[in-house]
Formats: sequence, structure tokens, C-alpha cells
Amino acid sequence: MAKRRGRGVAACWYGIARTATVDRAGAWAEIDDGGTAKIVTGVTEIGEGILTVLAQIAAQELGVRPQDVTIGDNDTARSPEAAHAGATRQTYMIGNAVALASRQARAALVEVLAKHWGVDGRSIKTAAGEAWAEGTNHKMPMGDAVHLAKSRGVVPLGSASFGTDTTGLDPVDGSGRPWQAYVFGCQVAEVEVDTLTGEVQVLGIWAVHDVGRAVNPRGVEGQIEGGIVQALGQGLMEDYRTVNGHATTPNLAKYILPTSLDVPHVTSVILEDPDPIGPLGVKGIGEPAMIPTIPAVMNAIYDAVGVRITSLPATPEKVLEGIIAKASRAKASRMAAE
Amino acid sequence: MPDVRIEATINGRRIARNAKPHLRLLDFLRDDLGHTGTKEGCGAGECGTCSVFVDGVLLKSCLVPAAKAQGTTIETVEGLAKAGELSVLQQAFHKAGASQCGYCIPGMVMAATAALRANPFAGREEIKERLGGNICRCTGYQKIFDAVELARDVTNGRRPASALAEEDQADGAFIGANVRRLDAPSKVSGALKYAGDMVMPHMLHMAVLRSPHAHARIVSIDTSQAEAMAGVEGVITCADVPGVDGFGVFVHDQPIMARGKVRYVGEQVAAVASEDPLIARRALAKIKVVYEPLPAVFDAHEAMKSGAPALHEYAPDNLVKHIPIRVGDIAKGFADSDLIVEETYSTQQVEHAYLEPEAGLAYVDHDGVVTILSPSQNITHHRHMLSRIIAQPINKVRFIMSPVGGGFGGKEDMVYQGMLALMAMKTRRPVRLVFTREESIITTAKRHPSRTTYKMGLTRDGRITAVEITMISDGGAYGMSTEGVMRKAAILAAGPYAIPNVKVDTYGVYTNNTPSGAFRSFGALQSQFATETHLDICAEKLGLDPFEIRRINAMRDGATTHTKQTLKSVSLTRALDAAEKAARWEAGAPISRGTTRSDLGGEGTRPSCTLGARLAPSATRPKSEVA
Repeated sequence: MAKRRGRGVAACWYGIARTATVDRAGAWAEIDDGGTAKIVTGVTEIGEGILTVLAQIAAQELGVRPQDVTIGDNDTARSPEAAHAGATRQTYMIGNAVALASRQARAALVEVLAKHWGVDGRSIKTAAGEAWAEGTNHKMPMGDAVHLAKSRGVVPLGSASFGTDTTGLDPVDGSGRPWQAYVFGCQVAEVEVDTLTGEVQVLGIWAVHDVGRAVNPRGVEGQIEGGIVQALGQGLMEDYRTVNGHATTPNLAKYILPTSLDVPHVTSVILEDPDPIGPLGVKGIGEPAMIPTIPAVMNAIYDAVGVRITSLPATPEKVLEGIIAKASRAKASRMAAE
Repeated sequence: MPDVRIEATINGRRIARNAKPHLRLLDFLRDDLGHTGTKEGCGAGECGTCSVFVDGVLLKSCLVPAAKAQGTTIETVEGLAKAGELSVLQQAFHKAGASQCGYCIPGMVMAATAALRANPFAGREEIKERLGGNICRCTGYQKIFDAVELARDVTNGRRPASALAEEDQADGAFIGANVRRLDAPSKVSGALKYAGDMVMPHMLHMAVLRSPHAHARIVSIDTSQAEAMAGVEGVITCADVPGVDGFGVFVHDQPIMARGKVRYVGEQVAAVASEDPLIARRALAKIKVVYEPLPAVFDAHEAMKSGAPALHEYAPDNLVKHIPIRVGDIAKGFADSDLIVEETYSTQQVEHAYLEPEAGLAYVDHDGVVTILSPSQNITHHRHMLSRIIAQPINKVRFIMSPVGGGFGGKEDMVYQGMLALMAMKTRRPVRLVFTREESIITTAKRHPSRTTYKMGLTRDGRITAVEITMISDGGAYGMSTEGVMRKAAILAAGPYAIPNVKVDTYGVYTNNTPSGAFRSFGALQSQFATETHLDICAEKLGLDPFEIRRINAMRDGATTHTKQTLKSVSLTRALDAAEKAARWEAGAPISRGTTRSDLGGEGTRPSCTLGARLAPSATRPKSEVA
């Protein structure tokens, strides 16, 4: 049979935010006129969906809607430090900072409302653009609440930073606390190997990842799907080559990337084991999503055709070479037995 | 050559313009007409980001001479949203979460529009086929297929228009809800401006002269002929750096432009700015650099040997960083084992291939603040470094992070922002630099290639007693993120398993290859590839199911990591259980049993791709039904 299928498993772990150093991020929040909100923090979208995630966090914490939230530009002269867009740190570091700043801004507004309505501040709820005191008839749109606060001389503001309790590594034995939040995951891959050409198609990936708490499940799926396909690129086809330092793959005609016809069906399962330290319970997903894919696929190739790929990428040539070597080994042992 | 006259209809408007004869349709649309929704990703017809309709035919505008636009009707992504209202397909991209960085998305939306125009009833496999000429690096394509299917069904009346709308969250519980991405409308419509789309009055264009040598001493640089050229407004070299030159994520070993010697092919040596990008490029040829080639080293193992050519004075052994992890006594651990398995693993250098090539715009503002706008992943650190390099206080350096068209770690290095700052300071004019795809691939950091020797000892019942892991990585010519990559690789190398005796060493090494740097999963991808493949080999030898061998060794709540940190909560066994269940895994040892297993080909797999296009005949429905 020319085509053989197989399955493989791999697990992973990963640390959230910067490694073996103290990480930190700052944010400012303001409940603005008309019941809108302004969040200013040193971050811009790199594609992962962080602007939407921060708007969701701010909206829920303040009691407005995500579309009411404006996120200021990432600008070292105009916004507080939130450091870099990487290390699977944005939702964890900046999300938590935005939550804390939002709580402070909300508290300023609630204090005005409590005095105005003559109720205990703890009975006041804010959600989706409304503020009300539980067990009473007191209720007003957030826009009116902001107007009221301003008429009392209060601009509802908050600012906060979120930092990690982490350490460097001992230079001799490596001991230390590199992260305060860890995530774990596992993926299963199903492949089809063409034994005549050595070509590997990945038909399905089942991906389970702990993200702490998913702020936007569809966005988490997007990170998992994208990470898996990037990993497949490295696993099966991508190969930056140089000869005496000169690139021989200097363009997208020579440097081959996965296209729509190369990708598997991905089934994502989101696990939520909340981070016990941060105020939101969130962790992260960007980088860990990639890690189990390659070994799961290589193990699946072994399951399908009995060829162990230990050097990446698993090009058709390499897989075919393995199939031929295996066949000649089997033939040699048959002949020895005879 | 004289200008060409172009009269055409673009997005329903008649235009009549003279254009430079060398322009591509892409340049004419973007630079002359300001339709920057059409993006340049590769300039060679490979990626599809520049897709437009010319007389109704989907074309890659980087391959079409502008003169060919004469007399045609052109639609760009900006023309799809009529009167500002997104098309059904654009709304479906918004709803399905089909855009991430967004840089490929205008081209993807055009290709998807073409797919549904060709066959309004296209199935998922046909949709994949029709999007095959467009590369997306973020999404993994799945949400894009979902979006096209959603648009198809809404257009055909099989799903209601409300399927495109935001789901209501009246209770205000937005955390945990699938809120539509707030930035998606700007991405699907082409409205979002990336750095390479931005212009300022009196802006100059910069071009960069790069090293043709992997390792060479720079004897002299003569820029006088370039500076004398009409139209050249500024030329810079390392001599223009006023402060302490040097940048890098961990060690500041890289000069803004080569200083004294070049260490890899493509390293920046000098730069020219002109109002005309062509003049800037031509001026590069007038810069005379005399090199004296030096012995070079292209292999990490060779670079570690004594007597190998040294790249940096501070590191005569070419070692960027060594990270050790030690737990217990591995000699005892191996002595206690029943089985020892050894193997060697290697991984290759990999390019980030974000669809947005590096680009930036710099200017000195009215208060003398040196301002750099670029898709930098780390503006905080960049401003610290640039402040020292240009000898200005921190508050006279301003970094603005423009929308990032894909990063994956590749935009953490300050590889070009320093040159932009120097040129803006020298010319006192705004300066823009946009990399070609080739510059982006050849000159910026890659994923570290690695070679890992692995030794694992286990008992008969599958408990790991000891691991010894040595990983050597080629860091290339500059340090960039190598130190951090080695650290993360080492900490996570032995996997999420409780192992009493661990010895891990990771080494990052300088060579004269393209530098390696930060890349999504940062060293942990390389080291865990080795561990997770190795576990499969061990499971086979012990006759254990691959889930089982992982469960036997899994860290659990309260576990101590290999860096001796106690973890309160460990979700690994939950993840293993969930994956086993989701995939309907048939238990058994990994003995190459693909031909006999019964769990293949079910839900969660796609059909296998076979030779030949999966296109249905376009007239599959009466014409009256065609959208």
C-alpha cells in the first residue's frame, strides 16, 4: 500500500512571561465621558488579539462594553512601560495590570455613587454600561455616572503595575524561580505518509492546552491553530540554508512555507487551571501551542512507516531514505535468517 | 524614459495620471494613489498580499507593470466595502476571527472574494485550493476557511445574516466570551496603516549597503562619490554614531553599522537617503568599501574548538552563553536504571517569515526628540539602547510601536531603528526604510539551529532515573537573544517530568552565519522536540503506551522543577487525559502499529490531499443564483 497512516503523541510545558528575571507591566485606566473608557499601556497588537483581550478585561472590570474601550498607542513618551510583546506575557502581565488599574478607576466612580445614593459601595454593581445598587431602585447609565462624578470634582482614574516574584538562575546548578506561572499541554497528530514519495501530510491535530483562563476562547484557538501550522512548517518543509554564510534560500520561492493545502484539521481543547497569583487567573498560549506539534508528528511518522526522524525537517527525501533503509535492513535480516 | 499615461477606473472612480515607467501596478496603487490596503509581502508573486482585481481577474499586482493598467478597471481591497459598510465576506472574516496580524488579510480577502465569485457554492476543499496562492503566517488558515464558508452560507441564505453579528453579553461577562476582534474591521478593509504604509511631508527614503563577506576587516569606506550625487540627502556609516555604539537583547555586541569588520553576509555597512528611492539605491553602488577577508567559521562545533576564528574580542572562545542545570547525581541515576537510551537530535535554522517585512519611519520632532515609529516588539528596551548610542537622555528618544504585521520574536532586535535615527538626526528630515523580502530573510535573526545529544535512563516499569542533555546552538554572528534562548531551552529541556537526576547543558556559539535570535517557543521547541521524541523511543523499548510513560513520570501538584522551584498546581495529567479522550486514542506501545490501529481517519481529520485541483465547474448553479 502506497499510503500509510499513523498517530503520535507529545506533551509540553512552558513558563509565562520573561524568564529568570523580574517582569513588570504598567497600565492607566479612565472611565471616560459617555460611559466609555480609556486604557493606556505600552502595548500594540502583534496579531495575537491583545487589544481585544485588554478591552474585554477592562470592560468587565469597569462595567462597560468592549466596544466602548479605547486603547492608547504604545509609545514610550506617552504611555506607561509594559515592556515587550513576546514571551507569552501580554495577557498575563498587561492583562493583569489593566485589571488592577480598572478596579481602581471603578472604585473612584463607585465612591461617588455610594455617597449620591446613600448606599454601601459594596452593593453597587457595574456591567455592560449600567451602574446600579443592588436591592434598591437606584440605577443609571455609566455615562450619567461619569457625568455625576465629574460634577463632584472626580475624574474616575486608576493606575497599576503588575510584577512577578521571580529570580535568576544559580550559575552553577541552575536553581531558581524563573517564572511564577507555568502551563502544560499535549497534542496528538495523525499523519499520512506516501511510501513512494516520502511525502507527509498531517491530517489532524488534537491540541490540549492549559491557558489559566481563556479571555477570548476563539482567540486562543487562533493561537493554537497558528502555532501548530508554524510548527508544521519547521517539522516538514522550512529550511533556511547558507553556504559559506551566503543564503541559498533568500526569498519565498526558495524558502517554502505552509499554504492552505498543507494544513491539518485542528481540534483545540482549552484547559483552565487558573493562575493562583494574578488577579485574573489568566496565563498564556502564544508560544506553548507550537511545542508538542513537531515531536507528535515525528512520532506519528514512526507509527506509520517505522522511520525515526531525529533531524528536522522531515522532508520527503529524508522520509523516503528512511523507508528504503528500513526495507533493506529487513531484507538483510531475512537473508541472514535463511 | 518618459512617463506613461494611465487612464483607468479604480474602485469605481476614473483616474488619469502620469506614472514613472518602471513602476509596478503595486507601486502605482500604493505610492501614487495612496491605496495602501494593497500590501507588499515578497515582490515576487509568491505570497499574494498584493492581490487585486484587474478587469475582474485576480492578479498579483507586484508582477504587473503599472503601464498595463491603462484602460482597465481595477478593484482593490478598499473598493470592497461599499459606502464604508464591510462586504459579507469582510464581516465573516471579522466574525470568525480570521485576521490576526492582518498583513496578509487584504490579499486573502481579495482571493476569497475571487473564490466565491468563481463558485458561490464552493466547498471547503475548493476554498483551500483557491486560497493556495496566498500565504498567512499567523492563523494556520482554519479560521480563514471558516470565514469563507460563513460568507458563502450567509450569501446563499443557508445561514441568517445575524450569524455575522456580535454575540450579546448583556450580563457584562466579557471575560470568556468570543468578542469579535476590535481591530478586525481595519484589517479586512485595508484601512490599517503599517509602518511601510506611512508617509510624512518631505520624507526621505533610505537604502542600505550590506556586506558581501561573511568575515572581513573593513580597510576603508569612501562615501564621497555617493554624497556628491544629485538627490542624495545623507549618507551614514558607523562614524556618525555620537555615543556608545552597540545593541543586543542580552549583550550589546552589535554596532548600528559595521565597525572595523563585518561578521556575516548582509550586515549593514552604510546607508543613503534620498527623496527618490531609486537614487538612494543607485548611490549605494558609489560607496567604495575595501575589505580584507578574514578566516570564517560556519559550524558551531568548529567554532568551539581552540584556534577557531574568533568573531568578537570579548569572546575569544566564541561562546555566547552556557547554561547548566544540575539535579541529584546522574551517575547514580544511570546506575539505578534498567535501560539506557541514547540518541542525537538536530534542528535547522528557520525564518520567521512574517508577511510584513521590516519597516520604519524616523524624525526629529519640534522639541528635538528623536522619534522612531516601527513594528518593534520591544520599544522599552530599544529606547534604553538608542539613548546610549546617540548620547541623548531617555526623554529625548521616543519609540512608537506601529501595528506589527507578524513578529514571532523576529522584531525584538533593534536591527534598523538605529540607522533610521542617525539618518533623521543627520538630515533633519523624516526618513523611511522598508526592507525587501530578501533583505528581511538574509539579514534578520532566525530560529537557532541545534544539535542535542540525549541520554536517558529508565527502570523496567518506565520511571526515568536520569537524563543527560547537551545542546549546542549556532547563534550566528551576533548575540541577539541567544543567551535567553539557551536559558529557556535548558530550564525546560527535560520536560514536565519528575526526574531525580538531571544534567543539562546548553551552549550558544558565535559563527559567521546569519544571526539566530528570538523565535516563538524560544529554545524550548528545540529541546522539547528531543525529549518528546526520545520518550517515544523509550516507550517502544519498554512496551509502554506513550500516554502511560508520560503519566508515570508526570510532574503533579506540588512538584519540584529541575530548577528546584515548587509548583503549586500542575495541569499536565489533565492535559494528557483530555488529549487521549479528544483523539479517541487507541492504547498501545509505539511499535509502528499504524497499519493495525483502528482510531484513524475519524472526526478531527481532513481528507488526504491528492494530485489535481479540487475545483468544481464554475457553472454549478443557475446564473441567477450567482452572487
